[in-house]
Amino acid sequence: VTTPGVQGPRRYDAIVVGSGISGGWAAKELCERGLSTLLLEAGGPIDAADFVEHVQPYEMHFRGWGDRAMLERDYPVQRECYACDEVGHKFFVKDSENPYTSPADAPFRWFRGRQVGGRSIMWGRQVYRWSDLDFEANAKDGHGNDWPIRYADIAPWYTHVERFIGVTGAPEGLAQLPDGSFLPPMAMTVVEEHAREKILAAFGGERVMTIGRAAILTRNHNGRLACHYCGPCERGCVTHSYFNSIGSTLPAARKTGKLTLRPHSVVAEVLYDPKRARARGVRVVDAQTMDVMEFEGRLVFLCASAIETTRLLLNSRSARFPEGLGNSSGTLGRYVMDHHYGSGASGRMPGFTDKRTFGRRPNGIYVARFRNVKTAHPDFLRGYGMQGGSGRAGWGRGSSMPGYGAAFKQALIDDLGDWNLSASGWGETLPHEDNRVTLDGAVKDKWGIPAARIEVRWRENERAMDKDMMTGVAEMLDAAGCTDVHTHASTNPPGHCIHEMGGARMSRTPKDGVLNRWNQAWDVRNLLVTDGACMASSACQNPSITYMALTARAVAHAVNEMKTGAL
Amino acid sequence: MNRRDLLRTVGAATALSLLPRHAHAAWIRVVEGHRPAGGLTPAQLALVATVADMIIPATDTPGATDVGVPAWVNVVVAEYYSDADRTLFLGGLDAIDVQAKNVGGAGFTDLPAVTRESVLLSLDRPDDRQAPAVRGYARLKGLVIHGYFTSERVQKEVLKVEIMPGRFDGAAPMTARGQGAP
Repeated sequence: VTTPGVQGPRRYDAIVVGSGISGGWAAKELCERGLSTLLLEAGGPIDAADFVEHVQPYEMHFRGWGDRAMLERDYPVQRECYACDEVGHKFFVKDSENPYTSPADAPFRWFRGRQVGGRSIMWGRQVYRWSDLDFEANAKDGHGNDWPIRYADIAPWYTHVERFIGVTGAPEGLAQLPDGSFLPPMAMTVVEEHAREKILAAFGGERVMTIGRAAILTRNHNGRLACHYCGPCERGCVTHSYFNSIGSTLPAARKTGKLTLRPHSVVAEVLYDPKRARARGVRVVDAQTMDVMEFEGRLVFLCASAIETTRLLLNSRSARFPEGLGNSSGTLGRYVMDHHYGSGASGRMPGFTDKRTFGRRPNGIYVARFRNVKTAHPDFLRGYGMQGGSGRAGWGRGSSMPGYGAAFKQALIDDLGDWNLSASGWGETLPHEDNRVTLDGAVKDKWGIPAARIEVRWRENERAMDKDMMTGVAEMLDAAGCTDVHTHASTNPPGHCIHEMGGARMSRTPKDGVLNRWNQAWDVRNLLVTDGACMASSACQNPSITYMALTARAVAHAVNEMKTGAL
Repeated sequence: MNRRDLLRTVGAATALSLLPRHAHAAWIRVVEGHRPAGGLTPAQLALVATVADMIIPATDTPGATDVGVPAWVNVVVAEYYSDADRTLFLGGLDAIDVQAKNVGGAGFTDLPAVTRESVLLSLDRPDDRQAPAVRGYARLKGLVIHGYFTSERVQKEVLKVEIMPGRFDGAAPMTARGQGAP
């Protein structure tokens, strides 16, 4: 059966909405299990020729500063992301075509990429396993609902994912930050090595500064080349040395012959069959022609990103589900989180001026969570990890350095200035019922689909933790031997960390959440949500690898149920 | 009153930093009214080029104008700056000329080299960091350094930037020259 004007069949074993980190994994795992799979992506196709990581400053009209007027006009929200720059902005949506709203007193930054590969193209690549400290947190302090899974449920899937994508990192043996299946670690700088030892000694081994764990290859792996250290991964990678969908999961899916990728496909609604209590398929608006069409699938995976998936479910209304598909619990759209991040400190490290860095390491240092791990902190629940790095300023210090003339010029050419060391906290956000996504009654996107209204606020616990991030980093820099230590307070609104989570959380019972322990909608068992929307708490670790692991786990279970006839 | 008249009224003896706030604001408005939202005039480009080559002179490596720094500054002024930033920048250039007239009785580019040197020194090591000429110079200095070090010749021939280094070393030794690329 075919739809007029559309290439390919109308029915598939499985439909996946979104081709980013989670959707790419769903497609790969479904195809490798033999299911004919339709992968729908709202944006257009890209390939390695679109990548711009080797564009040099002199090849850019604004030398890397970007076309300010154009970015302010077309990307007023997106431009606040560091990766939305002079050449990288093409991987971000135009805000004018993709509106969303927020209350005036609750600003939210929603950074988005619509293209094949989604935000896996320009993601931050940091990957950290969660532990039972995280999966048990809701149950122990009563905020949010208990996760229906524990570390043991997901651990083998973390390994499965790590072995495929390639993760560089150093094992540390920390219970709160489990080691993974690592490729060789990237080097720390001489200053970071020094700081690590000083900090270990000063805090009795409680604070461990390790090299960042990142989905970047430090040696050739699964047919992809090792990193060549050019620097800006967020602009793409012609050698596919960091993990993204188009270099990794999608080629694997394509190799099976089971994948149908349809770009320019904006999914407007998940179609529900009330007789069978199953998802029937999806309604799609072609982003270019505006044609509307339907596709049918025995399984439907939503991997469109936390807020897009939540918005899609809210937009999928029927007599059975007038408040959004799968929302018999009333929790759909609630308990939305992001990491609050950016408060910390920086300092100058005296000495080491006979050493420099060579190559541009697309990675930094990480300090594993140490608050509320062994002892309770008096001011806040949960905790934060730290991310940072060190370096020497180079010629960039010239604008604030007194002087001019031949000697001044030569100093900028020959010397690199002082070493600096800095870090900031990435903090867990508590799940709150009224941090939520709803539909805006008045605003629609370019394709006529009602826009999301996002209302998320930082609360007392986040604010108290932010303060501790500043002192926590500053006292470590002091211990490391830094001088001129200055703290910085973050003013980032929710969303800015691009770790949005929640909206369709997993739960132990149908009344407490949208999804069961296998990421199936309690109300609609062949409908699965495996992106950030499924998260019942935020932990403090960068979340993408957890989405990947949950996705692979959910596919295995759903396909098994299909084969045994349960689905 | 146009800008030239205002400057004449203000006179060589009155530093702009001493203007009352409302008078300074009025002066900015006058400047704004007489500027097209376009690029630098030939006189402004000459001033930019002169200052740029004093900050980064030609030695055994290229100087600022050798690698097109004035053209880069013009791109920023004409196409990057907001109207407010452009006004501030052009006001800063004018203030540098006012300072030059205070000290040497002529615009900066018309001064003898030794007088230019003393004007630039006073702007680079100022007593008052908020003085319009000082802030104008600081803004220009930042653009000059960015434009110089991101130019193709300097990146390739002076800093010898390796686009694909192929490895990362966190404790590489410093060598004698050409280290400035972090």
